[in-house]
Amino acid sequence: MFQRLLVANRGEVAVRIARACRALGIAPVGVASEPDLEASWVDAMDEVVCLGPAAAAESYLNVEAILQAARQTRCSALHPGWGFLAESPRFAALCRQHGVTFIGPEADVMRLMGVKSPAKAAMKRAGLPVIPGSDGPLADADAAAACANDVGYPVILKADHGGGGKGMRRCESEAEVREAFTAASAEALASFGSGSIYLEKYLAAGRHVEVQVLCDRFGNGVHLGERDCSVQRKHQKLIEESPSPALSDAERADLGAKAVRAALALGYVNAGTIEFLRSTDGELCFMEMNTRLQVEHPVSEMISGVDIAVEQIRIAANRPLSLSQERVELAGHAIECRINAEDPSADFRPSPGRVETFDFPAGAGPGTVRVDTHLAAGDEVTPHYDSLLAKVIAHADTRALAIETLSATLEGARVEGVQTTIPLHRAVLASDGFRSGEYDTAAIPGWPPR
Amino acid sequence: MKPPLELTVRRDGDTVRLCAPAVGVFTCAAEAGRLLSPGAGAGVLLSLDVARELVVPAGVSGRVVSARPERIHEPVGFGTVLYELAPIEAGDVPGATTGETASTVASLALPAPHSGRFWHRPSPNDDAFVAAGEVIGPGHPVGMIEVMKTFTHVLYDPGKNLPARARILCLIAGDGAEVREGDPLVEVEPA
Repeated sequence: MFQRLLVANRGEVAVRIARACRALGIAPVGVASEPDLEASWVDAMDEVVCLGPAAAAESYLNVEAILQAARQTRCSALHPGWGFLAESPRFAALCRQHGVTFIGPEADVMRLMGVKSPAKAAMKRAGLPVIPGSDGPLADADAAAACANDVGYPVILKADHGGGGKGMRRCESEAEVREAFTAASAEALASFGSGSIYLEKYLAAGRHVEVQVLCDRFGNGVHLGERDCSVQRKHQKLIEESPSPALSDAERADLGAKAVRAALALGYVNAGTIEFLRSTDGELCFMEMNTRLQVEHPVSEMISGVDIAVEQIRIAANRPLSLSQERVELAGHAIECRINAEDPSADFRPSPGRVETFDFPAGAGPGTVRVDTHLAAGDEVTPHYDSLLAKVIAHADTRALAIETLSATLEGARVEGVQTTIPLHRAVLASDGFRSGEYDTAAIPGWPPR
Repeated sequence: MKPPLELTVRRDGDTVRLCAPAVGVFTCAAEAGRLLSPGAGAGVLLSLDVARELVVPAGVSGRVVSARPERIHEPVGFGTVLYELAPIEAGDVPGATTGETASTVASLALPAPHSGRFWHRPSPNDDAFVAAGEVIGPGHPVGMIEVMKTFTHVLYDPGKNLPARARILCLIAGDGAEVREGDPLVEVEPA
C-alpha cells in the first residue's frame, strides 16, 4: 500500500480523500493555491505545497507543478478528486510517466470515454442501449439532415468534445437542422477546439439515472446501485437520491448488471459512473461515462456501506475488490442536497464572502445524517472556485423518512455570512412533485415557489 | 536550457523578500552578504528534472541577509521565501530603483462593479469588447467579470462622474486580471 498520497484538488473533495487516506494508514499530502493556504481544509493534510496564484490555470490545473509537488514530497500515488484534472488523459499518462500512480482508470479508456460519439459507439458494442442517432460525427449539414430524417424529430445536435450545453441545438425540422449545423459546429470549435458534431433523438422530460461501478485489475466488477439525479438546474445536479423512485427492483438489477458488464468489456479499472437517460416510456439509454469519483458518491456509500474512495485507492494499489456483487447489500434510502453559495432568490447569483456561522444540527429527524464539507465558521468562500459549501446526505429506512430527516436538518441549519441554496432545497423537499417521486429533468419540483 | 525564471517579490517596509516563482527543488543558493541586482542569477530551480536559473527581477536590489537553506536541494512551493534583502543605496547599483513604479491612476476611469476576474473579450477567439479610440455610450459592454465560474457583462455606466459619451483611452485592468470592487477598469475621456 502507498505510504504518502498527493491529493491533487481542493476544498470538500480534498478533505474527503484525506479521510480515505487516514482510513488506510496513508499520509495525505495536499496542494493549495496561494489564497487557499489560509483555508481550514488544508489542516486535513500532513503537509501542503503551494502551487501558485489563485487562477486555476496557474495552480490546480498546473500539471508540471502538481507532478513536481508529488515527487518532492515523496508521494507514490495521486488522487485527482473531481473537476480540474480528474478526467485529463494527458495528466493520467504523465503521472505514469513520472512514476506516480494515478488513482483512476487508464489514460486510454479515459480518452475514449471523454469524446462523446466514440464513447457511445464503444458502449453500444459493449451491449448498452444508446439514444438513436448518428453513428459518430457528421460530415456536413446534408449528412445531419439525412440522419435527422431517419431518426425522426425533434433531434439535438451535440458537440463531440463538449459539455455544459455549449454547441447544443434542438431542431424540429430539416430546415432547422441545416441552419443550426454550421452555428453548432462553430460554437463547438470555439469552445472545445473541435467542431465535430453528432446528432441524437431529442428526449424531453427524461430522468437522469446513473450507476456506480467499481472494477479491479483482476476482471472483477460490482455496482452499488443507481442514483437518480433528475433535480437539475442548467444541467447542474442539485439533489441526488438512491434508489431511484422511477425504477422497479427488476429494472434496477438489470441496469446494474448491464453497467458492470459494459465497464468490464471496456477494460475499465477503478470507480466510474455510467449515466443513463430514462425516457417517459421507461427506456434507459446510455448518455456518458464519468471516469472519476462523483460529487454525489456519498449517496451510494450511505445505502451500500462501501467507502468508494477507499476502494479506489485499494484498486490502484493492485488489490482485488474487497466485495462481490452478492455481498453488496443496498439498504434503505439516501438523499443528498448540494448546498451552494448562491442566492436562489436572485437568479442563483454567486455569493462569495466570509462564513460567519456554519452549523448543521445532529440528530434531527428519524434517520442518520452525514455532512461533507471543507468549511468552518470564519472561513472565506473565495470567488476563485466553484460555489459548493457542503453536501448534506440523509439516510433512513424509507424514502419518506429520508425526506423527513433531510428537511429537519436543513430547517435547523444555520449558515450566515453568505447566501445559500438551502431555501431551494427545503422547497423541493416539501413539494408534492418531489415527495411523489414523479419528477424529471425538465423542471425543478417546487421551485420557484408559487 | 529553458529561459530563466524571475523570482517573485514581496515588500514589507524596507525589507524585500525574493520568493520561489514555482514548485521545485531550490539549489545553488546565493550566500549571505552577496549583493543582488536586477538580472543577477540567484540560484537554480529544478522541476521535473529540468533546471532553470532564477534571476532577480527589474526594480529590485539589495544585500542578502538570510542564510542559505540547510539542504543543498531544498524542496520549495510557490511563494516560499528564498532570500531576504536589506536595502542599499540605489546609486550603488546602476539602473536599479528600490521603489515600485508608480502606477498610472486614471483621471476618468470606469470602476469595477464588483470583485472578480476581468476579461476583455467574450471568448479567447473574439475581439475585445472595446478598443482604444472607440466612442461608447451608456449600456455599452466593456468587458466581463467572472465570479465562481459565472460571467457577467460590465456595462458602461457614466454615473455622476463620467461623460455620457466617452472615448476609450485604454484598458487599465489586464485581460484575466483579478480586480476588486472599485478598481479602475477602463480609462476614458469625454467624446
